Amino acid sequence: MRRTFASTLLAMCCLLVGARVCTVRPGGTSITEALAITMECDTIRVLKGTYTEGALTIQRPVVLLGEGWPVIDGGGTGEVIVVNASHVTISGFVIRGTRVSDMNDNAAIKCISVTDIAITGNRILHCFFGIHLSSVARATIADNEVIGDEAVSETRRANGIHLWKCNHVYILRNTAIHHRDGIYLEFVTDSHVDHNTSAYNSRYGLHFMFSHRDSYTHNLFHDNGAGVAVMFTRDVTMTDNRFERNRGASAYGLLLKEINDAHIERNLFTDNTVGLLVDGCNRADIRDNRFEANGWAVRVYANSTAAHYEGNVFTGNTFDMTTNGDLVLSTLQHNYWDRYRGYDLDRDGVGDVPFRPLSVFALVTERMPYAMVLSRSLMVNLLDQSERLIPTLTPATLEDRAPLMRPPTPGTPTTMNTKGRTAP
Amino acid sequence: MWKVYKYTLLDLARNRFALGYAFLLLLVSLGLFLLEGDDTKALISLTQVVLALTPLLALVFTIIYFYNQYEFTVLLAVQPLRRQAILRAQFLAITTALVVSFLFGVGLPVIAWTSNAIGWTLLLTGTALTAVFCALGISIAVRQRDRAKAVGVGLVTWVLMVLVYDSLLLWLLFTFSEYPIEPVIVPLAALNPIDLSRILIMLKIDLAALLGYTGAVYQHFFGSFGGMVVSFLALLLWTALPAWGAVRAFVRKDL
Repeated sequence: MRRTFASTLLAMCCLLVGARVCTVRPGGTSITEALAITMECDTIRVLKGTYTEGALTIQRPVVLLGEGWPVIDGGGTGEVIVVNASHVTISGFVIRGTRVSDMNDNAAIKCISVTDIAITGNRILHCFFGIHLSSVARATIADNEVIGDEAVSETRRANGIHLWKCNHVYILRNTAIHHRDGIYLEFVTDSHVDHNTSAYNSRYGLHFMFSHRDSYTHNLFHDNGAGVAVMFTRDVTMTDNRFERNRGASAYGLLLKEINDAHIERNLFTDNTVGLLVDGCNRADIRDNRFEANGWAVRVYANSTAAHYEGNVFTGNTFDMTTNGDLVLSTLQHNYWDRYRGYDLDRDGVGDVPFRPLSVFALVTERMPYAMVLSRSLMVNLLDQSERLIPTLTPATLEDRAPLMRPPTPGTPTTMNTKGRTAP
Repeated sequence: MWKVYKYTLLDLARNRFALGYAFLLLLVSLGLFLLEGDDTKALISLTQVVLALTPLLALVFTIIYFYNQYEFTVLLAVQPLRRQAILRAQFLAITTALVVSFLFGVGLPVIAWTSNAIGWTLLLTGTALTAVFCALGISIAVRQRDRAKAVGVGLVTWVLMVLVYDSLLLWLLFTFSEYPIEPVIVPLAALNPIDLSRILIMLKIDLAALLGYTGAVYQHFFGSFGGMVVSFLALLLWTALPAWGAVRAFVRKDL
């Protein structure tokens, strides 16, 4: 929708100033020449073919439209497309051939200090950085496939979609796989990240810092080396996302580090080593999420305050909730725990006795991780049962005073990523 | 030997206890699968039951059956038969009967509901555990004169393996938590057949959590095909050694 709107707007602009359309085909005028001769707001149609012209630099507002997937090959010299002008659209290209560098952040498409950029429907293959925006205001990055090389080692990889100091950016329906971080945002504010798929990245699926007032919805993050880690940000909204199969000693479905005023709602966490890690967060509202078959569904560090957990579903996790201290400043209520064995005499759907999600064995493994070898043994079960009856070791404040007897409406999150799961 | 095996097995087929055992397991499995909405959760509960119940019943049943058959065994011993063959046949027959009961009681529901890696591991380890504890049971029975005492020893063995061993491990972990005890603790746990079976099943259930910390140790050892083979060889050893000891003791025994 937004994309159509942007193109329409651009088309209208072109009409107003009397812009022309210039066509580039293999063997004819090169893209470089076309860029040199066009006026402001012209459209350059690039027909099917392979164009190896080194780095292309865009110095004035243009619309660059690829037809039939023309290939722009940087030839491994450095960047491929550098945008130095505002009001630029790049759409419909296959872009490849960046140079791996330790000095420069070479990218397939790089925009520096500009505004109003649209990068839509491109395929960026085996590049160092994919899409790199630096000091950009108002941009749309939509429907791109940014696919790195699986065989490349982590030290020679860079981020798929990398934004630094931007605002009002829409990142929609992109796919980022086999990069270092799928989507990386630093100092990116008032932006929206929706319906993206980020998978098989060697570090994080999504990584952001100092990116206030952003929203993340309907994204799918799976099989990333360390899951999703977000830090030092306030006013974060994350809803209807899926975090799946992020496994390893330091892998988290979602790691919240120093996040203030977050809304984490209707997300699905499955098969992660740690589903959700809450470290130094204030005022997080965590509700209606599902935690299924994780090692640790939720780990709350004692330095987190005023988090509220409501309406979440915990099923099939090895540990439901653990903490590293005695102090718990969070509140839990109306969650569903598959381990809950209480009763509901007044039939209002809420259990009459509180549920204590922190088992004594979880506490033991917190101190001695290798005690995992005793998991699910009869002795450990007896220990947990007795602790549930008479809590002595676990912090008494970590309890759901009103646990649900049945999971709330199954099937949340309701709307899933339209692209589904992309295999490598 | 095979004739003794055949007749013991025929006798066992008419044994009410063996039949009861099969139907008890079936009842438990069906109950869990029907009552529990989530099949994987039912399977986890079933695992707990199998890990505790199978060894206990195999031990007690083997001991009691050995004493019930004692007169028949003496009768066989006066025939021109090798004593080794008699006991070996009886041991094999009891194991076969209990394994068949187990596969009937647990195997059928598991295959019907959750025919996945966890289910198959459960069946394999359950079968192995049955064999191990039949062997332990017969070696206890042969060595004791008194039936009540033998059952007592059997129960103590079971408690030791199910509860005391794990408690000792946990105590060890706490006591030596300052030391790099990790490489020792996993092989130590694997020494106990019940723990070994539990670890094998747990590797399938709690994979996500296991990959967290000690992932390398577990995954490299137990997760690999070689690790599985070693684990099952260990369980086989747990069967073979007591059985061999029992045969030796039986050969020398003054019936």
